[in-house]
Amino acid sequence: MKRIYAKEELCVNCRLCEVYCKTAHSLSKDVLTANKYEEPAPVSRVTVYGDKYISAALNCRHCDDPKCVKACITGAMTKDKATGIVYVNEDKCIGCMTCLAVCPYGCIKEGKTAVKCDLCRNEDEPACVKNCPNHALVYTDLGGENE
Amino acid sequence: MPVNYIPRRFSVIRDKDLCINCGCCVRQCSNECHCFAGDGKTVLSRSDECVACHRCVDLCPTGALRIEKYVCDYRENANWTPQYQQQICRQAETGGVLLSGMGTPKPYPVYWDKILLNASQVTNPSIDPLREPMEIRTILGRKPEKLTVEKKGKSTVDMPPQVILETPIMFSAMSFGSISLNAQKSLAMAAKELGTLFNVGEGGLHPELEPFTDRAIVQVASGRFGVHSDYLNNSRFVEIKIGQGAKPGIGGHLPGEKVSVEVSDARMIPEGSDAISPAPHHDIYSIEDLRQLIWAIKQATGNKKPVSVKIAAVHNVAAIVSGCARAGADIVAIDGFRGGTGAAPERIRDNVGIPIELALAAADQRLRDEGIRSRISLVAAGSFRCSADIVKAIALGADACYCASAPLIAMGCHMCRTCNTGKCNWGIATQRPELTKRLNPDIMYKRVVNLINAWNHEIKEIMGGMGINSVDSLRGNRLMLRGIGLNEKELEILGIKHAGE
Amino acid sequence: MKYVIIGASAAGLACALQIRKEDKDGEITVLTKENYLPYSRPSISYYLKGVVKENNMYLRKPSFYAQNNINIVTGAEVKSIDREAKTVKAGRKVYPYDKLCLCTGSKPFVPPMKNVEGKSNALTFLDLDSSKAIKAKAGKSTRAVVIGAGLIGMKAAEGLSKICESVDVVELAPRVLPSILDEKSAKSVKKFLETEGHIRFHLGQTVTEAKSKGDRITSVILKNGKELACDLLILAVGVRPETALAEKAGIEVNRGIITDPGTMRTSDENIYAAGDCAVSVDMLDGSKRVIALWPNAVNQGTAAGSQMAGGCIAIEKSYSVNAIDFYGLRICTCGLINAQGDRYTDKIIREGESYKRLIFEGSRLVGYVLINSSANAGIYTSLIETKADISALRGNILDTPGPFMFDRAEREIRMKGALPL
Repeated sequence: MKRIYAKEELCVNCRLCEVYCKTAHSLSKDVLTANKYEEPAPVSRVTVYGDKYISAALNCRHCDDPKCVKACITGAMTKDKATGIVYVNEDKCIGCMTCLAVCPYGCIKEGKTAVKCDLCRNEDEPACVKNCPNHALVYTDLGGENE
Repeated sequence: MPVNYIPRRFSVIRDKDLCINCGCCVRQCSNECHCFAGDGKTVLSRSDECVACHRCVDLCPTGALRIEKYVCDYRENANWTPQYQQQICRQAETGGVLLSGMGTPKPYPVYWDKILLNASQVTNPSIDPLREPMEIRTILGRKPEKLTVEKKGKSTVDMPPQVILETPIMFSAMSFGSISLNAQKSLAMAAKELGTLFNVGEGGLHPELEPFTDRAIVQVASGRFGVHSDYLNNSRFVEIKIGQGAKPGIGGHLPGEKVSVEVSDARMIPEGSDAISPAPHHDIYSIEDLRQLIWAIKQATGNKKPVSVKIAAVHNVAAIVSGCARAGADIVAIDGFRGGTGAAPERIRDNVGIPIELALAAADQRLRDEGIRSRISLVAAGSFRCSADIVKAIALGADACYCASAPLIAMGCHMCRTCNTGKCNWGIATQRPELTKRLNPDIMYKRVVNLINAWNHEIKEIMGGMGINSVDSLRGNRLMLRGIGLNEKELEILGIKHAGE
Repeated sequence: MKYVIIGASAAGLACALQIRKEDKDGEITVLTKENYLPYSRPSISYYLKGVVKENNMYLRKPSFYAQNNINIVTGAEVKSIDREAKTVKAGRKVYPYDKLCLCTGSKPFVPPMKNVEGKSNALTFLDLDSSKAIKAKAGKSTRAVVIGAGLIGMKAAEGLSKICESVDVVELAPRVLPSILDEKSAKSVKKFLETEGHIRFHLGQTVTEAKSKGDRITSVILKNGKELACDLLILAVGVRPETALAEKAGIEVNRGIITDPGTMRTSDENIYAAGDCAVSVDMLDGSKRVIALWPNAVNQGTAAGSQMAGGCIAIEKSYSVNAIDFYGLRICTCGLINAQGDRYTDKIIREGESYKRLIFEGSRLVGYVLINSSANAGIYTSLIETKADISALRGNILDTPGPFMFDRAEREIRMKGALPL
């Protein structure tokens, strides 16, 4: 399945991916409103780690055998059989964050419910990939296992 | 510094209604003009070191920033302008030669803007470039005096080595050191796709550019950086750099801040030391010495490549070009005083040299008068800002044009003229890895290709409008030009009539 | 192949799912004494709090079971296992099996107290029915007393504090949440809970007897003699593994059903056990104990199911990991948090409301307690699980963990699955 991979050698630590992720997961879908005025403030699913010398963006790896799905106590976290995307059913999620405590990549964020990347399911290209100014994020299928 | 003699040049204006405090500008400015306030949440700007490179402006997701000239009024003085006053203050502080980057910004006349082009009307009708083939391919090299053919039309002349370009535009010399490897790679990739050449400059050839050596012009400059037999042979042609338009009479200058480990390897000099090329080649003190060097290079390259000589446009440029042609050069490149640079003493950049328009016209005419025009290809350099400039240059006699500042602008350069500090926020004129990674060759080379393709298209349109379908018919065709607002002398040197005549 | 599973919670469902994954044709029967299809037990405290509705607690849509040919029989309490005949009996029905899995879970432990048993307003809090009963009996004027300040007791107290007039919590240990908090963090958590929930704590105390009127308790008396008015008594002292069925059938039991730690097979080669009723081997210190946590039950159920179906999934690593929140205070714990001895060292960082304690054995991380500092806790968990050498990591381990703790080669693997881009 296609996943997002970050190229450290091209990431310039601008963090625009985070800005556009918040925008894509907001109600207004407008970069100014989403990042400044919307309440509750949308949370970015992707996080850039590192500093100006070396940095990279990390988002959910959509593992083939996800630890978070196994750990979820309500069954809110599931892996879509068709697309492979691991996503949170917000009606079922009670916000216990057990998933956060087992994700070995540290990709799950705290919110009222668990917050994580959903590969922008309703779009053809994730917002972070589309808006990276240096093409440091690629959306591609590497063919192998990822856990 | 308790007393700041010079006010800052620019102010960053932040629109608080648009700023989302994402901090992108904070992280992108190598001059540290933005920072987070104590609470870690609000972004503030301190414009002291702003150079107006626009990196923050162009990356801001909500367009909340703009740069404004910081006007701190001095008493009006047409003679002692604020600029001259501030330059004196800088020298009073440092005791040093003022350095700057890119071409001279002084308001000397730009002759391209005073030359107009012809178009066909009734007689000799226009040609439609969308429907008719337009030839803009250019061939550089010494042409034989006479062409003899045998019965079937095959040439019986021994042709000296030639270089075929798909466009009359080449990329001018920018050394590795003055610009980053990523920038050079972008130019190399663009040159390959466009079917033209890029000039490696005097910094030696970086190993990562080896796949592009068939597109490379290598330079033998006065410092002889990186010059060895492999270097000469892995090229399309060799250029002896006698001078550069931005700083005639002195050698290249690479400040120590920009001499990284890689630069030091490529140039074979110690890391962190200033790389200052000597003013003259210390083995060229006369035209005969130049002739010797040209023949030595031809021998070293098996007589398979043309040899070019690059000179700065100065007084007597016509005589110098003639001398070079007679010394055996196959190509002579004239670099006008508007030419760009990575670092040059400001006074020399702004006061030495003459415009390429005049130099080119004078040189071309002199060679024709002496009957030796076909011995060399003339390449013009020194600030071509658009395709019309190129058309005019060719009409004045150029075989091809060298462009450098324009492709850099395509790659993000905003002409802030601080290349010599090595803190280029666009990853062009720097060696700092955290800055050079901002220039992704896969993205940038496409922009350069787009630019040159656009210019090629425009050149074809203009030529078609003139009723000619080959760049050969444009070359040296002064009748296609008319001057406007030029005096008698200027018209005479340019060899063109005034508009209306 | 006939598969029978007793118990339809975390372990039971995981077992059934794994069997179906590996055996498309076998007959799967899941027997549960509750009257509900598999639901999320831990959610009952959120149900009590009013955060989640009953129909969102079910782990799968009802149609799922028919679609996957899994037969769930509710209201079927298994009373005996006949190992020779390979059958189990629930009510009057007899279910034959080729492979059997015991996922009977936990039962509440009620310590001896005078006059408490059988009273209508003394309730345990372990399943949906008890949660519904508590909700029904709790009102604005109710004065509630919760015995036990552990995970279950505190979740009950939190839920009740929103509905009732007062909540008193009685706990034997000298600190709140004794199983997951350490001395150093429990003090500030107690203060927070007192302030946010208006809960009154009685630590180091037990209830010795209750006073009643008819079948309703009216007050309880503590060991120190204090009397607390009580309209609703919640018994949440702790749980014990439900092993009665196994014991009766002669399967080896020692404070939990003894199993092979990898395959979850019991002393009977056709019977497996998984979840709260089974003993786990904690990978961190080798101790054998029941790890009564959801992820552990799921892992064990999956392994048991795979083994029963002839597959090869086995448990390699068991350890405890827990994430819970009270009034917005988020607590994450993992591993050996109350480890004693010179072998163990710890590092603590406190910043305003947040507290982070990491426990080490030599150069390995073996546990953590995170209060309001659980960002990327899963990375710490993976360090514990993989027994990573902490000295090889970059940066300060007390900072929020991230991919740059690891060197370039390790990052390649973590972020790309070690495939070249």
